[in-house]
Amino acid sequence: MDIGRFLLTSITTTALAFVVGMFYAGFRRKITARVQNRVGPPVYQNFIDVVKLWSKKSNITHGVMQHLAPLWQIATSITTLMFIPILVDSTFFVNLTFKGDLIFLLYLMVVGSLGMALGAGEGGNPNSAIGVTRGLTQMIGFEIPWVMALVALMIQHQTTTIVGLMDVQQASGTWLMFSSPFAFLAALLAMPGMFRYSPFDIVGAPAELASGPISEFGGKYLGTLMTNGSIFAFVKLVLYVDIFMGGATNLVLLVVKTFVLYMFPVLWGLVSPRFRTEQSVRFFWGWPLFFGLLGILQAAFL
Amino acid sequence: MSNLVIILAIFGWAILTYLAFKINKTLGNVFVGVLALALPAYFFTYTPSDYTVSVMGMSLQFGFTSFASLFAMLVVVLSSFALLYSIPYMNKKDRLGWFYMNFMFSVGGMMGILMSKDLVSLFIFWEIMTWSSYLIVIYQGKKVNKVGLKYMIFSAIGAYAMLMAIVLINKWSGNVNIEQFFASFPNYSSAAKLLSSLLLLTGFGVKSALMPLHVWAPGAYTKSPMSYTAVFSGALSKMGIYGMALVAVNLYVHSNMPIMGEVIAWAGAITAVLATFWAIFQNDIRKLLAYSSIGQLGYIAVGLGIGTELSVFAGLYLAILHGLFKGVLWMVVGAIEHRTGKTDFRDISGLIKKMPFTFFVALVAIIALAGMPPLSGFVGKWMLYESMITSNHFIMVLFIFLSSTAAFLYCFHFLYGLFLGQQEDEFLKDVKEVPVLMMIPMGLISLSLIAFGTFPGLIFKPIAQAMSTLGFENVTWRMSSLTNAWGNSMFLKPANFMFMAVFVFFLIIITVVNHKKTKKVGTKDIANGGEPIRDEDNLHYSVDIYRPFYRVISPIMKYKVETFYKRISKGIEEFFQFFRRIYSGNGQTYALYVVIFLTALLILSSTIF
Repeated sequence: MDIGRFLLTSITTTALAFVVGMFYAGFRRKITARVQNRVGPPVYQNFIDVVKLWSKKSNITHGVMQHLAPLWQIATSITTLMFIPILVDSTFFVNLTFKGDLIFLLYLMVVGSLGMALGAGEGGNPNSAIGVTRGLTQMIGFEIPWVMALVALMIQHQTTTIVGLMDVQQASGTWLMFSSPFAFLAALLAMPGMFRYSPFDIVGAPAELASGPISEFGGKYLGTLMTNGSIFAFVKLVLYVDIFMGGATNLVLLVVKTFVLYMFPVLWGLVSPRFRTEQSVRFFWGWPLFFGLLGILQAAFL
Repeated sequence: MSNLVIILAIFGWAILTYLAFKINKTLGNVFVGVLALALPAYFFTYTPSDYTVSVMGMSLQFGFTSFASLFAMLVVVLSSFALLYSIPYMNKKDRLGWFYMNFMFSVGGMMGILMSKDLVSLFIFWEIMTWSSYLIVIYQGKKVNKVGLKYMIFSAIGAYAMLMAIVLINKWSGNVNIEQFFASFPNYSSAAKLLSSLLLLTGFGVKSALMPLHVWAPGAYTKSPMSYTAVFSGALSKMGIYGMALVAVNLYVHSNMPIMGEVIAWAGAITAVLATFWAIFQNDIRKLLAYSSIGQLGYIAVGLGIGTELSVFAGLYLAILHGLFKGVLWMVVGAIEHRTGKTDFRDISGLIKKMPFTFFVALVAIIALAGMPPLSGFVGKWMLYESMITSNHFIMVLFIFLSSTAAFLYCFHFLYGLFLGQQEDEFLKDVKEVPVLMMIPMGLISLSLIAFGTFPGLIFKPIAQAMSTLGFENVTWRMSSLTNAWGNSMFLKPANFMFMAVFVFFLIIITVVNHKKTKKVGTKDIANGGEPIRDEDNLHYSVDIYRPFYRVISPIMKYKVETFYKRISKGIEEFFQFFRRIYSGNGQTYALYVVIFLTALLILSSTIF
């Protein structure tokens, strides 16, 4: 592989993910404000915030692990981004699309959270530790239906790669969300848990935990985390679009599809109060698990 | 030189070491060090040859199959590292000669098991291994009698089952040679097949702590000195896996009994989930690791039970890897115990400040345990998942996934509770980093864990050779990529290098930007709602931190196998209590017995005569 070309595409992809993710976060703030009858910040507010955080004069750290924590996060997000096809059959956005598969992505996507958990732990703030334990517990909850959905698709189409699943949708002309509806439902219901918006915002929980794991991070560290957050949101949305909605043939279509999908956790969050930790896990092990089982049965026996 | 010499040399050396410790502690330590260095040096240079001994008309055969030499490699590497580690770790303890003699006996026993080509010598060495490990479990004396008793009872059950199997096999096959047993197994009647294999499985299952035979493990792993537990949980439990692999693959998969393979796999899956749940709620780090070991051996049993090429490969890879990272983790616990004298989350926090090296190796081992890229644990997890998905075990894969995700909870607890969190000056002021001789073994094993993450091919070669003994010829493997049964591949180099490149890139940026204005502050200087924290306030939150999760899964945590065993033992006790009442020790009662006996005799004699 040509190194120069790879650098060009990977940096372009990352920049695209960053910009789109930032605007989505801005839209979320705007929508939230409108629903609560406020004016709200402009949609580009998050860019201003990131620049401000990076240029803060004073930065505080409690040790090496806390210094490294945002790096685990952002390395995870960008590496994951490299393994996800951005567009269908694109010759430009190839990156590392053909080098890994879904099981790898499943594992890679949690590496960042664990690195972050250790960094938050070193801060010594009890709120951070409480947030981390809640987050890990919730992760057991939503990962199970999400994995069930993926396993259902994998055994139905005899492939473990995203590219393979996209090819299936290209060949049949039907999106997998219609041909495997139960798997899609399970994955969709697991999605708010990944985004950690209300009612699943038990990790940050502004009113109880003072924003939880990130409470000891400020300045450039928080700036890195915010950059990472927008990239990772884009990663998750594109992954869903690739797997269930046939991918996108051009960037406009990609933005439209991901935005529609993004509205699901956002709008759900606007009208829901926060769960307790055990309620959250019980939610994911209820209907989503049931739909996941139906999805697997459909894949195995139909 | 024949193979048997190496075992006899180890046994002889064990007794010499015992005598050396009688003379002088330094001399004894030299003896230990010599064995630790000589064992791998001899093992990795000699050429194997078979050897036969005739005893009482029975020919006992010794020699390595390529499958056994895979496990022998693990035993040799781990034992020699653990022996080196022992020298500073055990320094202040007494009865060292006794400890090292038993340590070496169990190493010799394990080598003997792997060398045996017939069931009788396997059984003899199995017993040597069991007894020597039992003597180390009760090394601490009277207060661990109960733990030792539990271990002994379960080992005895396993041993009797194995002995019975050997007798039956000798009757049905005409001899006790392992290869001939495998060859004649398809001709057995189905009842004989089931009985002989299940008896063998019970024997092996006890050592590998498969549920429901695991009850002895948490206690025994916890109470032995940590330098031995590294071998106990890392290598000795793999002897059970060694036997189980032979039974599961050679007997079940190749003799058309896949349903029994499924039984082993399901036992493994359930073990993995439940043991992980139990590990999450432990407050003693040794207990946490003990339950974690039980769970990890469950994964291996799953791989062996499914019995496809990729799954057996994954099982063997995980077996070797578990030996390595659990070896490191037990050594880390030993290091902490050595420096602080404590092993409980309630007593420890913030060790990263004083023991950064120990933290680093623990981090590497934990990442490998959790199975996350870019380290070596991921390779095993990937192969295991893909083998399950491609062989239609889609419910079992969920169990394994649940167990691996739940494992993150105790992984985080281990690192956070011990090394991170609030740093208490009073606790930390006397703590310092471990001696170099303890660092070397931990550091070298950790390096191998990092290397196998990108180049697992280094260890695939012996595994592929071992697979040929199990009947999978010409297993293909590549240096740094993996392929499943559907032809989907995973390339480790691009993935890991990409991750590292991004990591290093941002590391430079985040370190350079505002470098001079970045201030390092203590853990008492935190955001706490405007209320300053005084030095004596301890806000470390690491005990019982998974309460909410406990509330979710409490329905299944109510049931313990142990209660079942306790009921059985209570029933037996009551049964014998009844007999004990007869011997009341009271002269009057005995007189009454005499009177009753005489009366009965009189009545009977009048009717009979």
